[in-house]
Amino acid sequence: MRNSFRNWSLVNPLKTWVGLQQYKAVFTDPVFLQVVLPNTFILMIVSVTVSLAFGLALASLLNRPFFGRPILRTVILLPLTVAPVITATMMRWSFNDQFGVITTFLSYLGAPDIAWLSDRWPSFSLIILTDIWIWTPWFTIILLAGLQSLPKEPFEAALIDAATPWRTFWQVTVPMLRPVIVVCVLIRSIDAFRTFDQVWILTGGGPARSTEVFSVYAYVEAFVNLDFGRGAAAAGAGAIIMLFVGIGLYKLVNRTIEVSR
Amino acid sequence: MAEVVLRDVVKKYGTVPVVHEVNLDIADGEFMVLVGPSGCGKSTTLRMIAGLETITSGTISIGEKVVNELPPKDRDIAMVFQNYALYQHMTVFDNLAFGLRNRKVPDAEIKAEVARATRMLGLDPLLSRKPFQLSGGQQQRVALGRCIVRRPQLFLFDEPLSNLDAKLRAQMRIELKALRERVPTTSVYVTHDQVEAMTLGDRVVVMKDGWIQQVGTPLEIYNRPATRFVAGFIGAPAMNFIDVELADEQGQLRARAKDFDIGVAPQQADCLRKHGAKGVTMGVRPEHIHLGAAPDGKGSSFSGQVKVTEQLGSELVVGLDAAESTIMASRIAPETDIALHAPAEMWIEQRALHFFDRKNEAAIR
Amino acid sequence: MIGLVVAAVKRAIFAISLLAVFVLFVGPVAILVVTSIRPASGVYYIWRGTNFTFSNFIDVVHQSQVMQAMWNSFVLSTLATIFSLGITVGSGYMLSRFGGWIQRSWFATIYIFRTVPYISWVLPLYLVNTRLGIYDTMLGLLLPHIAVHVCFFSWLMKGFFDGINPSMEYAALIDGCTRWGAFRRVALPAALPGIAALSILCWLATWNEFLFALILSGQRTPLITSTMAQFVTETGTEWNLMSATAVLAMLPALLVTIFGQKHVIRGLRM
Repeated sequence: MRNSFRNWSLVNPLKTWVGLQQYKAVFTDPVFLQVVLPNTFILMIVSVTVSLAFGLALASLLNRPFFGRPILRTVILLPLTVAPVITATMMRWSFNDQFGVITTFLSYLGAPDIAWLSDRWPSFSLIILTDIWIWTPWFTIILLAGLQSLPKEPFEAALIDAATPWRTFWQVTVPMLRPVIVVCVLIRSIDAFRTFDQVWILTGGGPARSTEVFSVYAYVEAFVNLDFGRGAAAAGAGAIIMLFVGIGLYKLVNRTIEVSR
Repeated sequence: MAEVVLRDVVKKYGTVPVVHEVNLDIADGEFMVLVGPSGCGKSTTLRMIAGLETITSGTISIGEKVVNELPPKDRDIAMVFQNYALYQHMTVFDNLAFGLRNRKVPDAEIKAEVARATRMLGLDPLLSRKPFQLSGGQQQRVALGRCIVRRPQLFLFDEPLSNLDAKLRAQMRIELKALRERVPTTSVYVTHDQVEAMTLGDRVVVMKDGWIQQVGTPLEIYNRPATRFVAGFIGAPAMNFIDVELADEQGQLRARAKDFDIGVAPQQADCLRKHGAKGVTMGVRPEHIHLGAAPDGKGSSFSGQVKVTEQLGSELVVGLDAAESTIMASRIAPETDIALHAPAEMWIEQRALHFFDRKNEAAIR
Repeated sequence: MIGLVVAAVKRAIFAISLLAVFVLFVGPVAILVVTSIRPASGVYYIWRGTNFTFSNFIDVVHQSQVMQAMWNSFVLSTLATIFSLGITVGSGYMLSRFGGWIQRSWFATIYIFRTVPYISWVLPLYLVNTRLGIYDTMLGLLLPHIAVHVCFFSWLMKGFFDGINPSMEYAALIDGCTRWGAFRRVALPAALPGIAALSILCWLATWNEFLFALILSGQRTPLITSTMAQFVTETGTEWNLMSATAVLAMLPALLVTIFGQKHVIRGLRM
C-alpha cells in the first residue's frame, strides 16, 4: 500500500517536469506505432485465443477419469511452475539454428530451414508459441475446475435427447462455462499486454527492434537508450491504453458469447 | 406405449448393494410411483431404467425389448428431472425442439409437435424466453413439454415437484393428472412424498433400503400395509404403533399394554393365534380413534392425559398420553373443547386394527 | 463387431492425444535437463554421444553469484509471501464483509493497479528506490513485490471469503466475540485451504518473477531469474552451464508445485 501511493505521486512529477512533450514523442514514434503496438496486440489476441482453445480441449480431456490422469495433471502444471525466463531460454536453445533439438528434428522431417531467431516473423511466432506453451495450462486448470462444478443433469437430459458429444459440448457445456471463460479471457488478455520476460530472453526485442512489445519498448527506452522520460511516458501511455482496452474487452467478450448462441 | 419389466435387478457400487433384486411389472399405460425415504434406491432404479446408471445384474425390458445395453437415447424414453435440467441458454422453443432436431426430424414436424405441446401446457407466451427468466412452475412445465414432444413410449419422472413450494406442488399435481388423461403414456414416477404417491399413482411401490416393501394400488397400500414400515410411511397423520401383549380371556383375545386393554375382532384373533407370538406391535390410524367412550360393542376405550392438541381448522388432532406413548387421534370436530393435561377418554374401532410381527415387521393377517 | 473396432480406434486416438500432450509439455523441460548434464563438448547435438556429467552443476554451484542469487530469491519469496498474505487476508476479508465507499474505492484501486503493466511501475520504483537508497537491497525488492501481490491476491481472497457463509461469524458475534475475534477464530480457519493455495501461488510468483528482479536488483542482491538472464544475453552462451543454472532455478519451484498442487487445486475449488 505504501508503495502504491508512492508510485502514484511519482508518475505525476515525471509528467510535470517532462511535460506532455514526451507523450507526444512516444505516440509519434514510428517504432511505437507501426511495430510495437501491433506486435503487442497480435501477441495478445493470438496467444489468448489459442491458449483458450487448447485449454478448453485439455480440460475436457482431463474431465473424465482415466489411467494416468494424476500424472498428466501434474505434467500440465510444469509450464506454470517454470519461470517464463527459463521457458524462454529453453525455447531459444531448442530452436537454435545449429544445435537446437527441434530445429534439427524438423530438418530430419524435411521441413525447410527457417531462421528462427534472426527474422522478424519466425522469431515473433516463436514468442507467441512460447506464450501459448506457458499459459495453456493456466486456462486448463481453471476451466477444469469450472467443468467439474457444472451440474450433471443438463448433460443427462442431453443424453436422453440424443445429442452428439460435439453438440453437447457447444450447446450445453460452453454456454454454461461462459462466466468462467469471460473472466479468464479478460485476465489473460490484460496480462498478455504486459508480457516482457519471454520477449526479452528470446529476441531482446530484435532483430532490429522488430519484435518489441510494449513492455520491452518502455524498458529499452528507459534503460538502454537511457531516455528515462521517454520510457516513463511510454509506460504511462501503456497504462492508459490498458485501462481502455480492459473495459472494452470486458464488454466485447460478454456480448460475443451471448450472441454466438 | 409399452410395458416395463424389471427382473431381479440389482445395483451395486463396488461391493455395496443399493438396490436388491427388484422385480416389477408395469403394464402398458400404467402410472407407477416409486416412493420411499431418501436413500431407499428409488432414484437409482429409475436411472437404471433410463440408462443413466449401469445395471449390475438382472434385466430391464421396455416394450418387450431388453434394454440393458442400450444408451438412453435409443430407449425411446423421456425424463423430467428434479431441477428441471433445462438448457439455460436456449429459448423455450429450442429446449423443446432439441431432442427432435438431434434425431433429424424434419422442421415442419418439429414445429407441429412443439405447437401441440405448447398448447397442452399453456407455454405460448413463453416460447421465446430463456429458462432463467421463468418461474419454477413454468420451468417444470417446459420440462414436461420436452417429454411430450417426442412421443416416447415411456415417461420417467425423478422427483419433479420437490423443488416447488407446497401450494405450487398441489397445483402441479392436478395439472399432471389432467395431462395424463390426454397423454396416457406408461410412466414411472419417483417421489419421497407419500401424498404425491397416493394421488398420482395407478399403483405404488414402497421401497426401503434398496428393497421393495410392497406393491399395490394406493388403497391396498393404505388399508392392507404389508409391513410396519409401509403402514407408518403412508398416511398422515402417521399410524400409531403400540407394543402390546396378547392374552386370551374368556374366548376373546385382548391386546394389552400399560393401562391399555383393547379387544381384538374374532377373525383377526384367529390369525394372531395361528401366528403364535405373544408380543406383537399393534397399529391403528388416527382417523380410527375417536374421542369419548366407546359405543357398545363397537370398540374398546382407553384413557390418559391430553399431551398435545393441533388445531387445523378443518379438524382437531389430539395426542393422548397412554400405553407408554403418545396416541394420536384425528378428525375430531375442530370446535371440541379440550384442554392440555386434562384427562380424556378415547375409543378405537375394532375393525381398524393392524398387527405386525415384532421381529420381521411383517403384517400378521 | 464394428462397434468394438470403433471403440478401440477411439481409445487409440485418446491415448495418442494423451501422449502428445505429455510430450509437448514435458519436452522442453526434458531438453533443458538433458542439456544440463552434458559436458561442454557434448552440448552441441545433445542427443548424440553418451557423455553425461554433473560437472556443469558443480561449476555452477561454485560460482558464488549463482548460489547467492538462489539464496536471495528464496529469502525474498518466503518473506514476500508471509507479508503479502498477512495483508491480503485482511484486505480480502474487508472487501468481502464490509460494504461502503472505502471498500469500493479500495477495490477500484486494486483493479486499476492490476490492469496497469508492471513496466509502468518499475520505472517509478527504480527512481524511488535509488532516491531512498534502497535500490539493490532486499527491502527495495520486498516492498514492490508485496504491493503487487496484495493487489492481485486480494481479489482472489475476497472471492474465498465470499464463499464462506457469514452466518458462522454472526453466531460468533452473538456468542460474545469481537469482530476481530470472529475473524480470527471462525473465518480464518475456514479460509485456510484458500490461503494455502494462494501462499503457494504467491511464493512461486515471486520466485519466478523477472522484470522487477532485472531492474531493481544488481550486484549486491542478485536474484536467480536475472542472474540466469545474464548468461543468455551475452554472445557465445555457455549453454551447458546456463541450463544447469536453469535446472537449479527450476528445482525449488518444482518441489513446491509437486507438494503444493493438491492444496492449490483444493483451495481453488472453493
